Parts: sequence; structure tokens; C-alpha cells
Amino acid sequence: MADRRRINGPPSGTKPPVFVSSTKAKERPQRQRQPNDLRKLFLKTGLIPSASGSAYLEFEPSASLSAARSSPQSLIPPSSALKLACTVHGPKPLPRSATFSPNLVLTTHVKYAPFAARTRKGHIRDSSERDLGVHLETALRGVIVAERWPKSGLDITITILEAEDDRWWGDTPDSHDAPWGMMNVLAGCITAASAAIADARIDCIDLVTGGVAALVSDQSAEGEASSPRLMLDTDPAEHKAILSACVVAYMPSRDEITELWLKGDSSNVSLEKGDSRSGHDALIDGAVDAARGAHTVLAEAVRESAARHSGLPVDAATT
Amino acid sequence: MAPAAAAASPAAQPTPPSLSLPPSQFARLQPHAYLLAHLSPPAASNHPSIRANGRAPSQFRVTSANTGSLTHTNGSAVVRVGETAAVCGVRAELLHTEDIASWSVTQPSAGSANKRRKLVDPTLKASETVGDSSEDTYDEDESHIEDLNLLVPNLSLSTGCAPGFIPGAPPSALAQSLSQQILSLLHSTRLVRADDLRIWYQPPNLGPEDLERHNESEQMDVDADEGEKNREIKAFWVLYIDVMIISLAGNPFDAAWASVLAALRDTKLPRAWWDIDNETVVCSDAVSDARKLTLRGMPVASSFCVFEADAAAGWRAVILPDAEEERKIAEDNRKGAQRRWILADPDGYEEGLSQERACIVVDKKGGNGKTVIVKMEKNGGWAIDSRELRQLVDISSQRWDHVRQILEQC
Repeated sequence: MADRRRINGPPSGTKPPVFVSSTKAKERPQRQRQPNDLRKLFLKTGLIPSASGSAYLEFEPSASLSAARSSPQSLIPPSSALKLACTVHGPKPLPRSATFSPNLVLTTHVKYAPFAARTRKGHIRDSSERDLGVHLETALRGVIVAERWPKSGLDITITILEAEDDRWWGDTPDSHDAPWGMMNVLAGCITAASAAIADARIDCIDLVTGGVAALVSDQSAEGEASSPRLMLDTDPAEHKAILSACVVAYMPSRDEITELWLKGDSSNVSLEKGDSRSGHDALIDGAVDAARGAHTVLAEAVRESAARHSGLPVDAATT
Repeated sequence: MAPAAAAASPAAQPTPPSLSLPPSQFARLQPHAYLLAHLSPPAASNHPSIRANGRAPSQFRVTSANTGSLTHTNGSAVVRVGETAAVCGVRAELLHTEDIASWSVTQPSAGSANKRRKLVDPTLKASETVGDSSEDTYDEDESHIEDLNLLVPNLSLSTGCAPGFIPGAPPSALAQSLSQQILSLLHSTRLVRADDLRIWYQPPNLGPEDLERHNESEQMDVDADEGEKNREIKAFWVLYIDVMIISLAGNPFDAAWASVLAALRDTKLPRAWWDIDNETVVCSDAVSDARKLTLRGMPVASSFCVFEADAAAGWRAVILPDAEEERKIAEDNRKGAQRRWILADPDGYEEGLSQERACIVVDKKGGNGKTVIVKMEKNGGWAIDSRELRQLVDISSQRWDHVRQILEQC
């Protein structure tokens, strides 16, 4: 059944191009960062003036991707870097038909652009996008002081222009496989939404940020399976086997977690010698560390947003 | 926001001192009077007629473009026109002719197109500049693009770009209309050549001298006449052109079209050929093999709106203004009491205050720089007459020069 509100392609459907692989692009990108080194973040607020608050977030492209950009050899990108835009509309009165709510009603929408991922995404939100929206909502609900706005609504919309890969493109999905890229996307969504909420000057108890950590067993490095290592801010394209990954939404000054999402099996993973923590403890600690790292960038972006608002006293008073 | 605040200061003069509203509140309460006060300042003050956003009536917003920053696209562009931002990504996918239900019925097996293709001298085609297509013979096979839906533009406004659009809802009437406008403009300008989207297959002739040669000849024009006989189209590229309006502050069409144009200029299609063993089309991933689209011209859209001093009177009138009234308006104009202003590149505030819109798409051809009107659309009122349309075309052709500079730099 064709979507009659959009322009549809050929009725018989189209196929993504199949590439004849050439040898030079066949290498898995290698992680150039230290295990506890984070990627740089670009975070800027206030790019969308018609919204009450907005933020744009971009991850630093990995070494392989920036090399591929500067001297392109293959049309198949080695990895990708997250790019997303977040807008906040509100607080605004709820529609008349809505039931009374003593708190701020938060709605979150996460949507991938059709060109965001390696396979073309549809125009209608699929279940993974809805799932991301729910996770984002739980992460933010614990931060916003919702009692200050009874009978009001707050719409948070995130458009993902470029998503992280779930695995290296050359790998076939296997038993270890899960949508790992979604976790990075969620961490980015949380950080960007937090900046946009602060930009909209909604009262929060703290600035929440997202962080990702993963337990990775890289066989490729030494040839034999080494003990799994904890890596912060993993790019799934750079690792052969991610055993489990964790994303947290973390408030540093209160030392609280509003959202925790752990995937994969971390129960009987033995870490390196001298580390007596259980697998998931280490994972959560790692993710919190990653979130702490993102917090410095977020604080800087919020400071800049505050400076912009105080520079315009007239508009700040009326909006 | 900063230019709006700077522009708000001249409004302090027209408002009487008793009314102590800050300009931004006045703008919200009395938008029409606010914009009118800017456009027709009292003769005593030396303020020039200027829009509330600080621009002259025929001035466009600052435009910037950036291409090729999205990884998973064949071509992409971000265009910002003032505070309106559009992101466009072009993705190419394959449509096999065997999947087209009506293909074998409508296509004669021997390509009549092949004969026509030979009319276009390949050396000429290679040296041809992008802005020049005058020597193109009209190819009736261009209908492939339209008949087979090879260009699929879709514009999305549900990105939180403005408060009115609910994310997650089906596309609004505005989004549907803009998608359709982009599609019809792509078709009517014949911007993309159907030949760039075809993937040909040359079956080996099985003659001894052809065996080693057929590898090259299946992608390129061949000189041997008999080789052309049973050449056939095996697949088409379908270009999915998706425009996300990230930020909407008026005039989405100009920004969207500019982003489509910039993205198509950036688009690279991989070299593709029919693999007889697997019976499918495969592509080469080498960047050196990929080729850019050769577009026909560079049509640039310019939108305008008409702001009328007595807009309310216009709505009440049931008859069209007659010649007498027109003369009176013309006289008023001469006396300096202007009653209507044509505003180029309206922002969201001005769009809300005007009924009449005009959109002109122009292109300039060849070395002589002759302006060609590609599309002209005007609706919602009767203020723009033929003389003013001519002015608008002039403004649009100046805009074309400007946009060309921006697009060529990015």
C-alpha cells in the first residue's frame, strides 16, 4: 500500500547497490584512541530560532572516516559519526481535549532521516525509533522539575542526520550482534536534549548527559582471544565483537543515574587481572565516566546559551 | 535574533512616547502596523524604508551552503537562508528493468534511442559546461525519468523546525505541496539527464574480435555500429532526494530547492554494470570510477511576498480594482506614499502578514548570460502586474548570480 501523502518511488521497489569489493577498503577501521579516551563532541545551542530551545550535536569522525574524507578511495564509508539536531517546543498549554495533568507532560520523538543509516530508513517511525524515544523520555523525566508547569506540555524532537553503524559493514550479523549503534545514538540524544532543554530555560535539577561503555574482545589484535576489555565511547564499526554495552544518563553533581540500558551478556566476564569488579559494575562505571566527559562539553554549551540569552534582555523577557 | 534586535530600534521613533511597549511586544500585538511603520517611516524622520528585520525590500537573507558532509549519501548539502535551514541527502538505488511490469511491452528491443544517442557527439558532451544545454537534442527518452519515477523527492517538516508541525504526524499540507513542487520543478527543468541514470548492457557479440573488447563497451559508447544493435538497458538508478527542513523561518521553498540543487551537483554515482553470471547489477566502489551527474543548467528559485498597507480593505473588497483605482495607486506611488511593497525572501513574520506570493525560477544559459524563466508562479492577490513581474525577474536573475557563486564555492 503506497503512502499517498509522500512521493513514492517505482512501485516495484528498488534495491540498494551491491558493490564488488576491492581489497583496499576491506580492512576494519582500527580504534586509534586509548580505551578510556572519548571522542570529541561538537555541541551548539540555539541554531533553530523558531524553537524555544535547540541544540546540534556532532561526534568527531573516527580516524578512518576522516582519512576517507580527505582522500576518498572507496565509496563505502568505513564508519560514520553521529550528527543530530534537537528542538524543544514549550512549555505550552496542553490541548483542551487532554486530561488534567499536575505536571509537565513530556513527549519525545526521535526520527532518523531517510539517509541517516547505511540502509535507507522509512519515513514512518519504526519500532527502534520509538524505543529510542521512550528511553530518552525516561532519561529526561527524572531531570526536569515537572511540578513547575502544571497543565503544560513539552515536545522534544530529535532528527538524526547521520547515525552510528551497528557493526562494521563487512561483518555479517552474528550471535554477538545487537543494534550497538543505537546506544551511541541514545547517549548523543540525551546530551543534546539536555542542552536544548537548558537552552529553553526549563528548570532542571541537574544537567544530564549520556555515556556509553562496552566490553570488547578484540581477537584481531593478537590473533587469539584476549580477555575482554572495557572501552569507553565505543564506535561499533571498530570492534569485531562487542560482548555487552551500557548506556547511562547520569547527573554528575547529584551522582544519580536516570536511565540505564545494558545489552549483552556481562555476567560471567572476567576482566583483566587486578580488577575484581563484576562485568556489569565495570560497565556502568565506565559509562558514568564517559558521561562525565560529555558533561564538560555540555556545561560549556549551556554557558554559551546563557550568555546569548542575557545578551538579549528584551527577547529574554518576552519569550 | 541579533539583527531583529538591532532593527527594533528605529521602531522606537514612530511609536508615541505615551505607549511604552517594547518593540518586540508591539510586533506581536500589532504585527501589521509594526511592519507598516518600518516600511513607511514618517517623512520628517530620515529613516529609509526598511523591513522589520532590517533588510531592504528586495534584499535576500544571507545564504550559505555546504556539501558532502553526510557519510551515507551519494550527495548531500546543507543550505541556510537566514534562519531557515534545509538538509538534503541524495541516495541512489537500483531499479532493474525486469522488475518494471510494463518494461518489455513498452520498450522495443532494438534501441531507437541508440540511434539518437549518436547524434550527440561524445566529445562535445564532455567539454560541455554545466550551465549549457542548448545543443542538447530533445531526447524523448527523458520520459523515463517521469514515467518510471526515477526521481523521488520528499520534504519533511516534522523535524521540530517550527512549533506548528507535530512530529510523528503524517506530512502536513505544506510539506506535501513543497515535495510536489520540487518534483514538478525537477521534471519541468529536466535537470537530471536520464542518460546518467541508465545502466546499459552490451551482450558480447561472440565474434572473436569482440570478446576481449566487450568489457569496456558495455559502459561506454562504442564506435562500431553493429555493436549498438542489441545494446539494452538493464537497470536504472533511482535517486531518493530527501530534504529535511531543520529550521523554518519563512520561505522554505527557496532553501529546499537550493539544497536539492547543491546536493545533486555533489552527487556521485558509482560505476555499475550488468553481471551476466549473477544476473544482477553490481557496482564498483572505487571513487575514481564514480562519476558526477551532469545537470542541465542551474535553476535558482526566488520567492517574494506582497505586503499591503491596507490589507484589511483588500479583503473586504469584492470587486477587482478597476483602472481608475489603479491610476490612483500609481499616483500615490509617485507622491511617495507607497501602499504596497514586494518583499524578497520573506521571513516567517512577513509571510504571516501577506496574502500574495510569487515564486520565480530562473536560469542563465551559456556564455551570453541570457536569463531564462523556468517557472513563474503567482497567487493570492492582484498586486503584482506585468511591469512588476519584469522587475522581479531582474531581481531573480541577480539572485541567480549570487547563488551561483555560493554553490560553486561549496
